[in-house]
Amino acid sequence: MILFEGVSKVYADSQTALSQVDFHLKQKEMAFLTGHSGSGKSTLLKLVSLMERPTTGRIILNGNDISHLKGNDIPYLRRHIGMIFQDHRLLMNRTVLENVGLPLLIEGYNRHEIKKRSLAALDKVGLTGKGNSFPINLSGGEQQRVGIARAIINKPPLLLADEPTGNLDPKLSVEILNLFESLNQSGMSVLIATHDLGLIAKMRYRTLTLREGEMIDDGLLGGRNEY
Amino acid sequence: MSTSPRKHKKSSAVSPRISKVSYFGRIKASIVQHVQQLSSSFFELWRTPVATLMTILVLGIALSLPTVFHVMYKNMERVTGQWDSASEVSLFLKKGISEERIQVLINKLGLYENIETVTYISNHQALQEFKDISGFSKALDHLDENPLPAVLVVAPVKSARNAAGSKLLVAKLEREQDIDLVRVDIEWIEKLQAIFYLVVDMVIGIAALLLLSVLLIVSNTIRLNILNQRAEIEVLKLVGATNRFIQLPYIYIGAWYGFLGGVIAWFFSLILVFWLHASVLSLTSIYQVEFEIMSLTFNESIVLVITGAVLGFVASFISVKQYLVQIEPK
Repeated sequence: MILFEGVSKVYADSQTALSQVDFHLKQKEMAFLTGHSGSGKSTLLKLVSLMERPTTGRIILNGNDISHLKGNDIPYLRRHIGMIFQDHRLLMNRTVLENVGLPLLIEGYNRHEIKKRSLAALDKVGLTGKGNSFPINLSGGEQQRVGIARAIINKPPLLLADEPTGNLDPKLSVEILNLFESLNQSGMSVLIATHDLGLIAKMRYRTLTLREGEMIDDGLLGGRNEY
Repeated sequence: MSTSPRKHKKSSAVSPRISKVSYFGRIKASIVQHVQQLSSSFFELWRTPVATLMTILVLGIALSLPTVFHVMYKNMERVTGQWDSASEVSLFLKKGISEERIQVLINKLGLYENIETVTYISNHQALQEFKDISGFSKALDHLDENPLPAVLVVAPVKSARNAAGSKLLVAKLEREQDIDLVRVDIEWIEKLQAIFYLVVDMVIGIAALLLLSVLLIVSNTIRLNILNQRAEIEVLKLVGATNRFIQLPYIYIGAWYGFLGGVIAWFFSLILVFWLHASVLSLTSIYQVEFEIMSLTFNESIVLVITGAVLGFVASFISVKQYLVQIEPK
């Protein structure tokens, strides 16, 4: 699914965010990406979604080298990746249903199909009946679920989550991670960046550890995943 | 874990532009999207009614000035068209000339190449006309004899309706022995026309600047909209929206601004014409000229609002191309 080959990222201010990173996330695999703040977790996710370009190395996504993908093609690439953020990144002036249906609207689906699939996605994340609410009226956990529903609505093969439980209490965090687990079991590859080692320990999945931009560990903390 | 690089396809060879929606489905959705964006962008304007009204009024004023100039120019042109009669030459004949001699003179003048028509006004007709106009009818009745001479009104051919042509004609006519006085008023008209054309040139320059200001106002308004909605644009880009998809509402908002500005300009020009109507009527009655000020025609009104919409469209397009492309999700 994702293959990093000697990927480095040096920002314009000469700060090295990633250094010679190699890893391979297989299809239908779920893994955690961990490390302290500034270790390069977010940069790695940004490189996969081409919010940033690698300085050196190659990034292969689904068999295609995306390192030098043309700018005009990036939106189409992002349609194959579901992205979830710590701050949810919802449009506060649109309803939950409109937020969730956004990827389908962009892809050109008709209104009826968008509504049908948005309701189904909301149902999947446990937000049935919240479609007409505005995000501002939802709790942090519910907002995060809206973000997840938006990320999975067009059934992307890959799900990237950047600190998805960062603003949630432990109980909600486990619920959200259980949701990721069920999505992974339905066939999506999932890569979750988090610094919550307690949570990682509970879930027991493959964990990629970054420190100062270098991949220092790639290990299996539990036995649920076959990797 | 390791995968040979040769196995991987280059991005140029395989594009991620694979859609789950059929080609015709996307075209249909695109048309629907345009219609929806067109209407939703109109309603979007009224989410901030005061700011929108201010912008539209400024645009309306900026567009109404060239419109008013156009209305004035159109009417002035009609007035100058009527000035052709002022290039007529009045020939005051010597007193006591017989009707036969006058007829001979008329026939002779009719043969001049630079004369189009000759109209004879007898001294009786002239007196009657003077009585009607002046209101001194009773006083004039007490005169022993008619003091007015007979007049021939000569209309030069079109090519001779200018200062040089008139001078040539006057010189020729002055040589006729039955003519007492030759009178022509062409020079002041030419001076007035020269001033008029100078004003027209200045007005065109001012109108061009005002149209440029419309472009700048809309462009800046859209720029501010884009900057205010930066977070929303970033989200849209993150979930796979193309620049084309994101820019559509902004372009339509710009077009709406221009369109509504055009409507305001049309309304302002109507008010102005209505306001000037009474003054023009009283002025023209003094000169005994029948002249009614003309407003914008239906076609001109359509051109005005379309021009506004096109200016708004172009301005927002420029703004969107300049600022929206620069916004990338962080």
